[in-house]
Amino acid sequence: MLLLFFLVYPLLVNVETSYMVYFFYTTFIYVALSQGWNLVAGYAGQVSLGQHAFFGIGCYVTAITWRAGWAGYFDPLGMFMSGMGAALVAVVIGWPLLAKLRGDYFSLGTLGLGEILRVIALRGGRFTEGAEGIGLPSSAYLSMSYYYYIALLIVIITLVSLWFLTHSNIGLALIAIREDETAAAANGINTLKYKILAFAVGAFITALCGSLDAYYTFHVHAGGAFNLNWIIIPILMTILGGVGTFWGPILGAFILATIFEMTNIWMPELHPIFSAAFIVLVTLFLPDGLISYLTGYKHQILQRLFFLNGYFKRGKERRGFKNMRSQN
Amino acid sequence: MAGFSSFSLFLQVFINGIFLGCMYGVAALGLSLIFGSMQIIFLAQGAVMILAAYCIYWIVTLTSIDPFFGFLLIIPVFLGFGWVIYKGLFQRVAKAGKNPSLLLAFGLMVLFEHLMSLIWTPNTRSVATNYSTSAFGLWDINISVTRFIVSIVALITTGIVFLFLKRTMVGKAVRGVSEDMQAAALLGISPNWISSVTFAIGIALAGIAGVATCITYAFDPYFGFLFSLKALIAVAFGGLGSVAGALLGGITLGVLESLSSYIISAGWADAVAYAAFLLILVFRPEGLIGRRSAQRA
Repeated sequence: MLLLFFLVYPLLVNVETSYMVYFFYTTFIYVALSQGWNLVAGYAGQVSLGQHAFFGIGCYVTAITWRAGWAGYFDPLGMFMSGMGAALVAVVIGWPLLAKLRGDYFSLGTLGLGEILRVIALRGGRFTEGAEGIGLPSSAYLSMSYYYYIALLIVIITLVSLWFLTHSNIGLALIAIREDETAAAANGINTLKYKILAFAVGAFITALCGSLDAYYTFHVHAGGAFNLNWIIIPILMTILGGVGTFWGPILGAFILATIFEMTNIWMPELHPIFSAAFIVLVTLFLPDGLISYLTGYKHQILQRLFFLNGYFKRGKERRGFKNMRSQN
Repeated sequence: MAGFSSFSLFLQVFINGIFLGCMYGVAALGLSLIFGSMQIIFLAQGAVMILAAYCIYWIVTLTSIDPFFGFLLIIPVFLGFGWVIYKGLFQRVAKAGKNPSLLLAFGLMVLFEHLMSLIWTPNTRSVATNYSTSAFGLWDINISVTRFIVSIVALITTGIVFLFLKRTMVGKAVRGVSEDMQAAALLGISPNWISSVTFAIGIALAGIAGVATCITYAFDPYFGFLFSLKALIAVAFGGLGSVAGALLGGITLGVLESLSSYIISAGWADAVAYAAFLLILVFRPEGLIGRRSAQRA
């Protein structure tokens, strides 16, 4: 239903001037970014603070391959290379980090990774063109609807792969690692392999968004590509919706993006203050995320009211039922 | 000693690094204490510091008292401030787990930053006194008077915190909670009360570091996050949960930055610091002088 609406919507309005199309475009990117983080932190339990590094890698790989002539504007090859580049970095860097560091130390390590890459991009000389960044030929611009549909495609790819990952043995292994890594290893799960897999898939998704952003802004520079916002806002959206759930980050992304945009329109000067106060209030009153509110037994009335009964089942419970049935 | 024209120049850069590092050390100490009792990285540490810096800047500009009185003023005020933040916000959220606390700290950071830029404008400020530029010579090197006094204050502060943790009953309880919260609770220590005490001390330490910043460096409302990161690196250098380690980690970081910005260039100093940070995390996660294992899941 919702998908159909998003597919048809750009056909109904003037795409170039519609604010809603732009709004949906940014929200789609945030949904994909949130799910990329959710896979690593929510399912595998490895709280990465370095997703902006992969976003930046996506931006730079796209810009550099385009400048070198290996891939053009909206080239699937360029986007794929961006994703693979980030996934490669995730494997190479993630190997020592994930093998050696647990919990907060892993978070700190990934935060350091993003900051190092930002400085390298700033000091990269001719290759990254320093603080000015790489300018891309903006005359290539075609139409906003391409951006819209590609962002939607990225979201669909992300959601489908996340669904299949979390509903397979891999998802079970990841959740086992999140709950108790030592016990998971004792039960024969190769924890390092699965952690690296989740980290790399998260990096791939994040870099796809970075690549699309590079096509959109036509200007890749270190301050924008490695901006901490690319990790902070998705984390907020995921926690707002519900960490480790399939629907949570989607809901969180739509709600938070709406609030950011509305405050930006109506009170542009107070926008960051209002957003920050909103974050504080949410953590005070809804620390488990909105989805837990919808799935909680106390609020079944609310679910019935919106005909959502059983719609927002948590992945863990549903899998539990399935396993029980297969055993019988 | 490559790149240095003389030994005294090397010594000068080294001493400046130590002065810078003392401030990192005090901020890192607060971060380390809060981490010990609440198991979260208090991201707003830097923002709280800058808040203290602005308060002192305001008072000094309005009443023209000496900024060094700010230390006496800021300690009780920020102890109370920290206690109120813990009781009002964190105590409630801490029950729900670590993620919401982290998110709350982040929300507070953004809130403080933007409130400060609204109240005091985002321009860069610094407190100027008639002795700000004075310095005394020691052999061949110049030592800035303000930075010297600030470093002494940092050392004294660390000493007081160290004695507090080692010699008082409350301090022992704080150490107990940071080592094993459940065992401490079983022995009749209220983790909530200890957390509020630790949090208040952590915020007061951020306040002290903030006053030190406003006396010796220029600052703006968004400077704090960078300082939080630096304090975090200092904590990792020294090992989480060690008082002397936090100060030594801060000094190591300050010297490392100062030397690398002189030898290579100022822009690379951050990258060198982060690279050292990553290497230490991977190879010596217990810190350079720490002994405790980092394999606490």
